[in-house]
Amino acid sequence: MTDAPVLVVDDLSVDYEVAAGRFHALSNVSFEMLPGRVTGIVGETGCGKSTLAHAIPGLLPSPPARIRSGKVVFQGTDLTALPRWKLPTVRGTGIGMVFQEPLNSLNPAYRVFDQVAEAIRVRRLREKGAVRARSGGGPFDYSRGPATTPTSTIGRPFLPGGPVEERMRSPPVRSPEIRTEVLEALRLVRINDPETILRLYPHELSGGMRQRIMIAQTLAERPSLLIADEPTSALDVTIQAQVLTLMKELIDEIRTSILFISHDLGVIAEMADDVGVMYAGRVIEFGPVASVFEHPRHPYTRALLRAAPDRSKADGPLESIPGSVPSLARLPGGCAFHPRCVYARPNCGENPGPSLRPVDPADPLGHRSACWYAAEIP
Amino acid sequence: MLLRSRGGQPSGPPGYGLSLFYGGRLPAFRCGPRYGRSAPTRGVDSTLGRSRSDLVWFIGKRLLLLIPLIIGVTAIAFILIRIAFPDPCVIWVGGHAKSSAIAACRAAFGLNQPIVAQYFIYLKQFLAGNWGVSPGGIPVATSIAEYFPATLELVITALLLIVLVGIPIGVIAAQSSGRWPDHLVRIFYLGGWATPTYLGAIVAVIFVAPYLGLPTSGMYSHSPPPFPQPTHLSVIDALLAGNLPYAGNALLHLLLPAATLALLNMGIVTRMTRSSMLAVLPLDYVKSARMKGLSEFLVTYKHALRTALISTTTVLGITVAGLLSGTVVVEEVFAWPGLGQFAYDAITSSNVPGTVGAAIIFTIGAVAANLLADILYGVLDPKVEWR
Repeated sequence: MTDAPVLVVDDLSVDYEVAAGRFHALSNVSFEMLPGRVTGIVGETGCGKSTLAHAIPGLLPSPPARIRSGKVVFQGTDLTALPRWKLPTVRGTGIGMVFQEPLNSLNPAYRVFDQVAEAIRVRRLREKGAVRARSGGGPFDYSRGPATTPTSTIGRPFLPGGPVEERMRSPPVRSPEIRTEVLEALRLVRINDPETILRLYPHELSGGMRQRIMIAQTLAERPSLLIADEPTSALDVTIQAQVLTLMKELIDEIRTSILFISHDLGVIAEMADDVGVMYAGRVIEFGPVASVFEHPRHPYTRALLRAAPDRSKADGPLESIPGSVPSLARLPGGCAFHPRCVYARPNCGENPGPSLRPVDPADPLGHRSACWYAAEIP
Repeated sequence: MLLRSRGGQPSGPPGYGLSLFYGGRLPAFRCGPRYGRSAPTRGVDSTLGRSRSDLVWFIGKRLLLLIPLIIGVTAIAFILIRIAFPDPCVIWVGGHAKSSAIAACRAAFGLNQPIVAQYFIYLKQFLAGNWGVSPGGIPVATSIAEYFPATLELVITALLLIVLVGIPIGVIAAQSSGRWPDHLVRIFYLGGWATPTYLGAIVAVIFVAPYLGLPTSGMYSHSPPPFPQPTHLSVIDALLAGNLPYAGNALLHLLLPAATLALLNMGIVTRMTRSSMLAVLPLDYVKSARMKGLSEFLVTYKHALRTALISTTTVLGITVAGLLSGTVVVEEVFAWPGLGQFAYDAITSSNVPGTVGAAIIFTIGAVAANLLADILYGVLDPKVEWR
């Protein structure tokens, strides 16, 4: 994979400015995602995972949240510099997102059909003038690799009517063509009787079913980048397993770039190619999953992995990390982890703290760690 | 008679034995819809979702509920007016009349019977179309048929203004919550809500009308208009007659009283829209609509407002009741020949049959508006069952 990265997050810092003070939700987050790869983001509750997921497509509510610095470059466009009214042109076909709460992520007032058809319609309107050559294959033929957003649509918001030519290009919502695509989308997420399901309202469906429809709706736009923000955390354990299996199968099928956010190390280990470990609003370690999880080069990652329950080990108390997560309003100087770090040395508290540096200088885009003493971690 | 199968064993009721385990479709990945609301014995495909026949039944049931409701509220309206005018015969016959004349009058109008019996006599006559006669000799039913359409026109225009202005400003207030547009909207609707109708109407006539150059009296500048009035709706009549200048003139005359009525009753609708939009806007499905790539306009008005409107409809019925009662003052101030003015004149001239008739029409109007709001609520909220 020597392609240009689909997403580059460069030195992104986000603050929440509320009455209680200023919270540094993200501090100098940097990583990049290569096309067709699954990048996992793992960390404890409150470490900024969701803020990161929302910051990328510009979903953060602007009065409390403020982007202090940095860039989010998606397919060569800096989204933080894009005017607000242009953001919709990137969303959907460019960046799709599956949310944590399937119970709330579908509109309760519309039938499943209308919601999925709306997504398909948005995509079809944008496909006008797309460079994509379409020959053979079904509507869900992803074998040609990830879709690319035609640059011509950036800057053209999707408005109710749109120019006449555009309306003529996209069939009306009730057309059999759209209906076929909706059924295809539902079958893609292994819904057995889509004919019945598409007539239903979200409240008539279970949580797992709603999450499948959410995934179907998002994939129906064939996004170049899919952000999955803890897509299984709110589900029952058995349903979690089903949805994870589905997502794993879909990853192999659609080969799009996925940013998979989870607090579950096991899930990330199974799903992701690359992983970023977050602590107190920073990415403190980044690299290929196998390398990061087998040879962690940051004391926090190491402690986190040792704290995870392991069936192969003998019974006994689980290891824990001493101390507690610092408040985002009063982060310790230097490395945010140093007060809890068993390897900390006096200069760890000195500003500026470490930033991500390659573990192996010969491989600058491989395994990286934000620890002064990365090489000394056992 | 017990049927015997070939094996000689009695066959159980159909669908009992093995079918208990094999009967349903149970593919590995089927995590189907929740059948929480319907009996699990019903077929899957026929009962899920709401059908059009369910809607007819839903509306029919509510229309049936209208009957006891109308009997109840009209009884209250009737009795209240009887309390206000304990003995209309004294007024009609005259204070100095012989007591025998007053007694004869009471007997003639059935006033010596118990009030409940009087109400049912009235109801019977009301249903027969005999709503009594005003002192002037005009049947109340005739007057109401002439005046009510004008009120309807005023109320519907005001309601339209509330929906087209009150709801969007509620949306804007929610979107800019805590910032100046929100405060501006709050001042606007609280001011309207706190202003008594008579004050608002008089201020509109004295200060607003000359400034905007709007007419303040009647339906047309030149009454009666040179065309027949089959509907008694000023704009519609002019349009039916093909008289466009008159239609425009009628619209101008309609504008200020309707706007006054709308502004003074907009409060709850705007407030309800604002608060339910505030509850809806941070929800995930608004975010997922945004992530579909929809414009902010579609996200707001197609996705967020669609669900926020469900709670707004609940107050629309109350608002129509407020509009109807507001017409009594507004029509009097703007000399609008509607039911409100008729009721005002009936009350001030001790026209008891007229007062009762107007009150009952107002009551039915308010009940019908609430019924419509109720039906609208059921249609808008897919969680309401039409069964």
